[in-house]
Amino acid sequence: MNIMDFSGLIAIPLISSPIVYLAGRLGSHDVTLHRRSYLVRVLALLAVLISWFPFVVSVQDFLTKGTMEFHVETIWMRMDGISLLMAGTVLLLGTLVILFSGSYMSEEVGEEKYYAMLLAMMGLMIGLVTAADLFNMWVWFEGMAISSYLLVAFYREQPASIEAGMKYLVQSATGSVLVLIGISMVLAQAGTLNMSEIAKAVTNPGVNRIALLGAGALFMIGFGVKVALVPLHTWLPDAHSQAPSGISAMLSGVVIEIGLVAMLRALSVLTGSALSWGLLFMIFGAVNMLFGNLLALRQTVVKRMLAYSSLSHIGYMLVGLGVAMYSGIALGAQGAFFHLFNHMLMKGLAFLAVGALMYGLFLQNNSHASLKIKDLAGAAQKYPLAALSLSIAVLALGGMPPLAGFMSKWQIFESGFQTQNNWIIALMIFMALNSVLSLGYYAPLVNMMYRKQPSQQVCCGKPMTWTISLPLVLMTGVVVLLGFLPGLMNWLTVPASQQFMSMFGY
Amino acid sequence: MAGILITLVILLPWLGALAVWVARNSHPKMQHWLAVVFSVLAAIVSVLLLGSASAEPAIRIPLSNAFGVLTFVPDGLGVTLTAIAAVIGSLAVIFSTEYMRGDQQLGRYYFLVLFFIGAMTGLVLSGNLLFTFFFWEITALCSYGLISFYNDDPKAVAGGIKALIITQVGGVGLLAGTLVAFSTLGSFQISDLLANSATLPSASLALIAFSFLIAAAAKSAQFPFHSWLPDAMEAPSPVSALIHAATMVNAGIYLLARFYPAFESVPGWRMSVMLVGMISAIISALSALIAADLKRVLAYSTVSQLGYMVYAIGAGSVLASQYHLLNHAFFKALLFLAAGSVIHSVGTRDLRRMGGLGRKMPFVRNVFIIGALALAGVPILNGFWSKELILEVSFENSPVWFHILILAGAGLTAFYTLRIIWLVFFGEERDALHYHPAGSAMKLSLGILAVGTFITWLFFGGLSELLSTTLPYSGIEYESTANLVVSILSAPATWLTLGIVALGFAISWVRARGYRLFGGGWLMPLVATSFGFDSLNQWIVQTVNGWGEDLRATQTGQLNWNILGIFSGLLVVLFILWLGVK
Repeated sequence: MNIMDFSGLIAIPLISSPIVYLAGRLGSHDVTLHRRSYLVRVLALLAVLISWFPFVVSVQDFLTKGTMEFHVETIWMRMDGISLLMAGTVLLLGTLVILFSGSYMSEEVGEEKYYAMLLAMMGLMIGLVTAADLFNMWVWFEGMAISSYLLVAFYREQPASIEAGMKYLVQSATGSVLVLIGISMVLAQAGTLNMSEIAKAVTNPGVNRIALLGAGALFMIGFGVKVALVPLHTWLPDAHSQAPSGISAMLSGVVIEIGLVAMLRALSVLTGSALSWGLLFMIFGAVNMLFGNLLALRQTVVKRMLAYSSLSHIGYMLVGLGVAMYSGIALGAQGAFFHLFNHMLMKGLAFLAVGALMYGLFLQNNSHASLKIKDLAGAAQKYPLAALSLSIAVLALGGMPPLAGFMSKWQIFESGFQTQNNWIIALMIFMALNSVLSLGYYAPLVNMMYRKQPSQQVCCGKPMTWTISLPLVLMTGVVVLLGFLPGLMNWLTVPASQQFMSMFGY
Repeated sequence: MAGILITLVILLPWLGALAVWVARNSHPKMQHWLAVVFSVLAAIVSVLLLGSASAEPAIRIPLSNAFGVLTFVPDGLGVTLTAIAAVIGSLAVIFSTEYMRGDQQLGRYYFLVLFFIGAMTGLVLSGNLLFTFFFWEITALCSYGLISFYNDDPKAVAGGIKALIITQVGGVGLLAGTLVAFSTLGSFQISDLLANSATLPSASLALIAFSFLIAAAAKSAQFPFHSWLPDAMEAPSPVSALIHAATMVNAGIYLLARFYPAFESVPGWRMSVMLVGMISAIISALSALIAADLKRVLAYSTVSQLGYMVYAIGAGSVLASQYHLLNHAFFKALLFLAAGSVIHSVGTRDLRRMGGLGRKMPFVRNVFIIGALALAGVPILNGFWSKELILEVSFENSPVWFHILILAGAGLTAFYTLRIIWLVFFGEERDALHYHPAGSAMKLSLGILAVGTFITWLFFGGLSELLSTTLPYSGIEYESTANLVVSILSAPATWLTLGIVALGFAISWVRARGYRLFGGGWLMPLVATSFGFDSLNQWIVQTVNGWGEDLRATQTGQLNWNILGIFSGLLVVLFILWLGVK
């Protein structure tokens, strides 16, 4: 069986990761630190740009041939609608974050480790979404987790980031153990690890359904730690706020969503065990929305507030997916995948814009302090672009038109009302009220930045660089564009939702 | 033709918004000019659009399945409201060039104003409910930005967020109604809902009707959502004119007028609409009696007049309601802009510090009196005709005690109108206020609006023709202006109303002679809390914040508790699954 083109998507970042690291560590001694750091940045950017070629080829192949798969011995890899969407999401945000980090991380001790780990994490995430057997997926999942611990605890001189990394490590490891137990239970019942074969095997009369349900619960909770389901979310606010801003964007924009995809893949094989997981998704979704919004409401640190808002956005996605699983309405999944993509853009943009402001206000003044909401007073005068992009990002997150978040939330609402089930309609109204509640913390943030009286921090702020501004401009543009032309993403979200529906037996 | 005009009337203000933003705050003169040029062009296009009215969609753009077909329909309701938004909006912009001179961040100001005008025209012209909601939310966003424009002032920030949250809660009603309609009809087209309303299950139709009533009440600041509009007075005065006359609050009336033919048969709906309108009209007129802030009095009067429009729809006359909306737009914009020039000139909104200003600013005094008399319903100003028409409809179609209360509202209006004229322009000066005169841009806007206040009632025939020919489901009959004049002047009810208005004036006059225009006795605590609803709002805000604060305790920061969270989550999932197996 020949190895398909899409393996390049995994291989290029993974191979370039050690090269970037070595380029930063080795090299002759007459090269100054400054030039070596420049080399690392350029190499990392080059690696991620090259990765776009296999992506474009994969898209073409997918559009002509549909789902593609290959295997090496018993390791199966498959490129389907969901993998394609997730690979594109990871690659897009990864590219922008590497570009952004050029100035943001410059001259940090261990810059080469940062890029090496970031590239490795991207390769591992794409590997995860293309994995087609359970154990193989778990290995990619662990690999992604390990690379992300190191990135969360990147500022190793800061006690707070070490603490955040530690909590993240212990909680994720707990989740991983649960997943592993779940996988072994499935193996014991089905006798195979290939997902499509398990899905057939679990319908045999001989299997123990109770054991499979137990395995499902273990998957839900085990992967749920990474997805930050309430009450498993307690690592998230620390990790998101202590990581370097580019990593906050990656964690919130793709890593937790990758966890969600892993959960979906693992649960889908148990569909035959005749229980709708959709109900659980909707319950967790409702709890996540409410807790995320209420917790965000009282935060004073900007990145912590954004971290809590990720909980509520995971809640919206869970509800969309839950509606699709529960009542077979594909639009719910389509809306959830669209929201996943938009959330990557909006939350990625929000974290990068906050990062840009931190770069101007703190990093260039040699401070690693956390950015408070009140520090942003009057920021728009000195940093019009960063303030505008942060405003657009949070208003989009709050679901205001004409921005991307409005359109994807709308699709989820629409699918919920289409069920014509009173409980689900009540859930949708609850979700809409939650969106209103979220404006209670987004809108004051926008207001603060447009004040006329600047804060002390803004007065001593330093200028931005173009590598920081460019990703902000691009992402802001797309967030506005998708608000006007939501159909632009259908080519990715429709195949993803079709794949989702077939995975869950519709 | 109509398609091009619609595209222009929405996009011209939006392009203007971008142009002002691109011009940057370092070129304020350029920004003023760009705003004026784009808004006046939009106003001209909107007037031209009146001639291309039809019931058929002028623009059809099929979108993907989740969003339906984007249509814009230039029917009578849409084009008149578009013309009001664009014309009054452009006058507010012209006024702003003087009012906002020297202010910082003009780019943000004009961006939001122009974006607001464009969104309002989109809202009333859209034939697709999803896009009605889309534009609806944009107007909420713009009003938020403008109300808290002076955002170093905590009161402005609080007023803005209050307006945003209350209108967004109403927006949930529009969202729910739209999606219930879609899930039963399979279409977002407004015309499909109007045509097929009889075939819908009655529970669904009732749900849609009452959801839309909630949305409309929140947007138009009607009972029980009336408390945001007075607090929105922290906005710059031209913005108040924009929100109160041209855009925002008209959207709620529009929604009710648009869907009246579908909902009129829903049991209890018309009665609820009348009640909402009547209660709003009365309680805000009572509030206006004692308010000590010039703009707050006007804000209360807006809620009260909107109450009349809502009431008219409930009583069965969309035409009367739209007629009053048209006339109200002119006299209320006039009043706000005149009040704006007073405030700009003396630097305070406090009525207790004004007095005797009429001698210093005769032009502003004269136009303000014109607007105020129209508000009170004095013949032959425009407010007289439409208010009489509403009262006539009410006399024919509603319970007697409703009619009595709504008549009493007219008396209260006359009372507070005279009170405010007296307090601002007459009597003795209560404070030595520094003063500078109104300039030509202000006078131009005020002059045009004053002329409008004299003549817009003559457009009745045109309005009724537009509405009767292009709204196939509303069943509005054409009536000429001459007919209206004859029927109003010959009705005994008119003379009764005029008597009550005169009585209101007389009481106000007597109290003014005795300087008993402040205070308020038992009304004071009620008005201070918006008849209890402000306290309710505050309670909700504090409770929700309290939950947020309490929940912070769950973030212990200790790993042991965090791991316990994971395992308790596992137990919950296992328990739910166990329930499913049983």
